[in-house]
Amino acid sequence: MIEARELCKNFKDKKRGVVKAVDHVSFSCKAGEVYGLLGPNGAGKTTTLRILSTALKPTSGTAIINGTDVTVDPQKVRSQIGFLSGNTGLYGRLTAREMVTYFGNLYGMEKQAIRRRSDELFALLDMKDFADSRNEKLSTGMKQKVSIVRSVLHDPPVMVFDEPTNGLDVMSSRTIVDFIKHCRDSGKCVIFSTHIMSEAMRLCDRVAIIHNGRIYREGTVNDLLQATGQNNLEDAFIKIVGE
Amino acid sequence: MQLRNIGTIFRKEVKDTIRDRRTMIFAFVMPIMAMPLLMTVIFKIQMGAVQKIEHARSDIVIQNIAELPKDLHDSLMADTSLFQVKTEADYPGKNLLDELKQKAFQLLVIVPNNFTKAIELESPTGIEVYYDRGEELSSAAYGKLDSVMTCYRDRVVESRVVKRQISKDVLRPFDIQGNNVASAQKVAGKLFGGIIPYFLILTCFLGAMSPAIDLGAGEKERGTIETLMVAPATRGEFVLGKYFVIMLTGIMAGLMSLASMTIFFRYMASDPTMKQMAEMLAIQFDMRTLFLILAVVIPVAGIFAAILLSISIFAKSAKEAQGYVGFLNFVLVLPAFAALVPGVELNYQIALIPIVNISLIIKYAIAGTIEWKYVITAFVSLFALAALALYFAKRWFEREEVLFRM
Ligand SMILES: Nc1ncnc2c1ncn2[C@@H]1O[C@H](COP(=O)(O)OP(=O)(O)O)[C@@H](O)[C@H]1O
Ligand SMILES: [Mg+2]
Repeated sequence: MIEARELCKNFKDKKRGVVKAVDHVSFSCKAGEVYGLLGPNGAGKTTTLRILSTALKPTSGTAIINGTDVTVDPQKVRSQIGFLSGNTGLYGRLTAREMVTYFGNLYGMEKQAIRRRSDELFALLDMKDFADSRNEKLSTGMKQKVSIVRSVLHDPPVMVFDEPTNGLDVMSSRTIVDFIKHCRDSGKCVIFSTHIMSEAMRLCDRVAIIHNGRIYREGTVNDLLQATGQNNLEDAFIKIVGE
Repeated sequence: MQLRNIGTIFRKEVKDTIRDRRTMIFAFVMPIMAMPLLMTVIFKIQMGAVQKIEHARSDIVIQNIAELPKDLHDSLMADTSLFQVKTEADYPGKNLLDELKQKAFQLLVIVPNNFTKAIELESPTGIEVYYDRGEELSSAAYGKLDSVMTCYRDRVVESRVVKRQISKDVLRPFDIQGNNVASAQKVAGKLFGGIIPYFLILTCFLGAMSPAIDLGAGEKERGTIETLMVAPATRGEFVLGKYFVIMLTGIMAGLMSLASMTIFFRYMASDPTMKQMAEMLAIQFDMRTLFLILAVVIPVAGIFAAILLSISIFAKSAKEAQGYVGFLNFVLVLPAFAALVPGVELNYQIALIPIVNISLIIKYAIAGTIEWKYVITAFVSLFALAALALYFAKRWFEREEVLFRM
């Protein structure tokens, strides 16, 4: 469902010159699978996910999302994807319902469909009490729930999460983790990035170790542990990247 | 480009903007309050100052007052609210010129010896008056004294002519009658024609500024820009949806300011205490003038909205955007002063210069002397610039370097 082929992305940076943020990255991810990009800050995770979700154009290489090439028809790709990141913000002066409706409209959904689907999701995530109050009045956890509803309202087959638990407390992180599992169980193809090893171990069917824009190794968590002879992912990561 | 998407974005941004208190202050409250407040303050200060000078009693010191002819002496004493007359005896041992410089009094009159006699004998004589040109009160006192003296001199001349058995008509062979042909509207237009367009353009800019910052840099600051970029609407649709909201707010602010000015001038003109200014206040925003002003505010808002949106989407934060906009305010609104510069007249070249053309058109329209060929020239120039700025904003929105600037 997601297929990244030799993705490259160069940025021109004033101080550092040309930065190879993503360097020949290839991988694939099927429906019903959670694929993790595990790497430290600056590894190129966000850039990779932005290319997949068409916010950025690759310098070279391409990705096929649910059969559509991101460089050929980005518009069509966008409607196939739900996108959520840890620092996704909300419109403070809109209510959760208004905000979600706005995005539903942008995704071309019909009025009744938006209404039905958002009610369903508000109930599922236990949001009924604050669905009609302004976003600026909500707690961080509540806000993240609004973002979740926004990202899946149009029921996309592919979900892209960029460090979705960044800056969240334990309870809200749990909501996100449960939500990712829910997406996987309902047959979506999920790609997700993190720098937290334990999160990757807990959630991912397969993990790619990414560093300096390159994928060093890829496989199930067990594969990676076995191949490096370590018993936790953190040590395995150091071993792989240090080689 | 889909109309449906532009509509969705437009409606959302309108809702968001209406709930933004800052924007509402800039777009509604300020334009309504600004002009009346400023004008009231200016009027009050000016009228107060004029009254203070005209009605203040002047202290004058007359040296050698005994030599003053009785007629002149009486005229000076007649109105005690005009002059408070003192003599050198009130300042014993003091240098009177120094006292004048120290503002102890406003005028020093030195009457020469035998002054009365010289006038009776019709021999040449003179009277010395010292005043301080740097002091408004002193200058005003000099003016008042001068008119009293001149009246007295005229009476002396008259009596000498009559004594020689010549008709006093000989002194005034003809009268000059000055008649003003300018309509009150033109006079007022000349006076306020410059300040009104400046206010309109400024409020229009300030009205568009606040939502522009919020709709551009605000998306980055809130961290919502990414969600927009991955939503299926095109960048062009986002630009247009946002653009129209910003433009509308700018137009709204301009309208509010115009409405407030119209009402203000009507009210002031009907205020009896403003009677002496009635002619100055005869600004008549007739339907044609109002319509024309409205019509020019639209492209102005269009230009401002496009430029502001471009700048705002380039900035990484609202604060950065504010910095650019402060500078832009200076560059874009400054040309509106053109109408305040005396001698700047509309011609084809000037009608092509954006903002300058608007301020002059509004000024001429208020004075009722607008020429349509210049209006059309200006409109062509304004709409061309607005379209160019909008195209640029769209291109800007499509660039990764701008949207994800590090
Ligand atoms: N818009 C940009 N301009 C210049 N450099 C960038 C830009 N975005 C990311 N980079 C650089 O690319 C590299 C990868 O960044 P990123 O993808 O954000 O990493 P991660 O998400 O794994 O922390 C970093 O060195 C970062 O500084
Ligand atoms: Mg990142």
